[in-house]
Amino acid sequence: MRVVIAEDSVLLREGLVRLLADGDIETVAAAGDGPGLVAAVREHRPDLAVVDVRMPPTHTDEGLRAAIEARRHRPGLPVLVLSQYVEERYATELVGRGAAAVGYLLKERIADVAEFLDAVRRVAAGGTVLDPEVVGQLLSRRRGDPVAALSARESEVLHLMAQGRSNTAIAGRLGVTAGAVEKHISGIFGKLGLDPAPDDHRRVLAVLAYLGSDR
Amino acid sequence: MAAGQAERRPLRLRVPLGPHGPLGLLVDPATWRALPYITVVSAVSGVTWFVILATAIPVALVTMLVWAGLPLLLVTMLLWRGGAMLERRMLRLALGLAIPDPYRPSPAGGPVRRLAALFGDPATWKDLGYLLLLFPLGLVEFLVTIILAVCCAAFLLQPALVAAGGRTVVNGNVVIDSVPEGLAWAAAGLVLLVATLYAVRGLAWLHGALAVALLGPGDEVRVRHLKASRARGVDAAEAERRRIERDLHDGAQQRLLTVAMDLGRARAKLDTDPDAARALIAQAHDGAKAAIAELRDLARGIHPAILTDRGLDAALSSLAARAPVQVSVSVEIDERPPPAVESIAYFVVAEALTNAAKHASAGRASVRVGRRGGRVVVEVGDDGAGGARVRAGGGLAGLADRAATIDGTLTVRSPPGGPTVVRAELPVEW
Repeated sequence: MRVVIAEDSVLLREGLVRLLADGDIETVAAAGDGPGLVAAVREHRPDLAVVDVRMPPTHTDEGLRAAIEARRHRPGLPVLVLSQYVEERYATELVGRGAAAVGYLLKERIADVAEFLDAVRRVAAGGTVLDPEVVGQLLSRRRGDPVAALSARESEVLHLMAQGRSNTAIAGRLGVTAGAVEKHISGIFGKLGLDPAPDDHRRVLAVLAYLGSDR
Repeated sequence: MAAGQAERRPLRLRVPLGPHGPLGLLVDPATWRALPYITVVSAVSGVTWFVILATAIPVALVTMLVWAGLPLLLVTMLLWRGGAMLERRMLRLALGLAIPDPYRPSPAGGPVRRLAALFGDPATWKDLGYLLLLFPLGLVEFLVTIILAVCCAAFLLQPALVAAGGRTVVNGNVVIDSVPEGLAWAAAGLVLLVATLYAVRGLAWLHGALAVALLGPGDEVRVRHLKASRARGVDAAEAERRRIERDLHDGAQQRLLTVAMDLGRARAKLDTDPDAARALIAQAHDGAKAAIAELRDLARGIHPAILTDRGLDAALSSLAARAPVQVSVSVEIDERPPPAVESIAYFVVAEALTNAAKHASAGRASVRVGRRGGRVVVEVGDDGAGGARVRAGGGLAGLADRAATIDGTLTVRSPPGGPTVVRAELPVEW
């Protein structure tokens, strides 16, 4: 797999390159700002871009805008956005433009190397990865409606599903069988009034659309 | 519900031609409250004060030569300050004007120092100016309104007079002795009635403007207030820096120290006891992650990045999502206010929500941000137990101080039993 990195801290950039290399992922270019990312993406046509939100010159949301820009040049480019803080608003902006092959994680998740590499691979394969904290924010906005009617286990499953995890991964995480997970999922979709979606990816979209739809 | 609201709208808003039309003024209670003051009271007090002051001050000045004048002058001064205070109360009743007392706080020390301060307070002399101006102003108000009212009554009564068989002669050559003529004069009387209403309101407005200028606190009070709040603002910033230092020292720094210790021990054990080394490395890994999370929270508490990036709406939504109570957020401002206003508004909401959850055990809260004139108004309400107060050194007091540094205000309305409403008004220019 070939990856482009945009991260302004040299220390972290080098660390990321080494960490990805440990997982047999090749970094073909590393940029320090937004325009650098867009140029690198156009030049190297990578399988994935890993982007830090906060970069020079404004140190606000440069990375987010560069990621959206890069996807305009290369529609469908898998992008994994890393941020010091995760905010539901950013997630909506990212996912709102098509959630396929998008990831949004707290920067500190890098420290859990195996999980981070797994997220990288899932996004590169076209999946959606959302930080548990964003999912928490989305869910907490929905207190007092059908979400509250879910059983404890069902809301655990909803949580993991909204993070973009597959049935097998959810089953592994909760220590139950894949069949049990499927049963919970159809329960959740029934209670929320959503149409059962066949594949993992469209299922995440349905859940996110549902969670993001109030106000 | 809409019908119920229409019932409660005041009469003057429902009459034809609107609240500022003749009918609107006629049914507006403000007109009738102002009437006795404008016609009679101001003239009477104007004359009274003119007589008192025009007698006492020259006498005091002349007798100054034999020292008896000084006490007399001071007594007169106290008297007119009392008179000005009385005027302020009367203006509140008659014109609905809330004019705060503009006086400088009385200094500590003996009676001589106090009297000297009285003498040096510009408000004392502005009071005198107002009371002296009240004489001509009161007379003009009296004459204008009385002449208009008398003419108006005379004109309106013409048809009745003619019907009763009487006749009116004006200036010896205008004779009114038929009903149509009487009705024409009555119509003129109606026009005059409208003119009287406008005159009363106009004079009341003029009088009010003069009173605010002379009896109200000018810039001096505002400057004093700003100076005091700036000093508190500086103290609050200093306290905030100490808190950050303490949080860094007690939190992340200690955690990183333990991480370094664990790693050091792991390195020493690597060859002799690999299992223990592995456990220590895992422990250090967890510690490092905890330190990162702690630093993230601390940084967010200093200034949330999303506030800079996306403004109040996004930042408050994010705050609401993390709050332990259910919060509804409504932000209606078209243009982004200056960063300082956004920041104060954000932390007011943060503090109010924390208090709602922690002290008031509220179940739900609402956050509303809107713009009124040149001010951003932030209101946080909760359904908790109430009884919140702005305590010196507390979070709300610090925020009130921060708001005051930009000439804004923070008020807390929280009767025991609730509900609590924290309201901040922040000017967008200062």
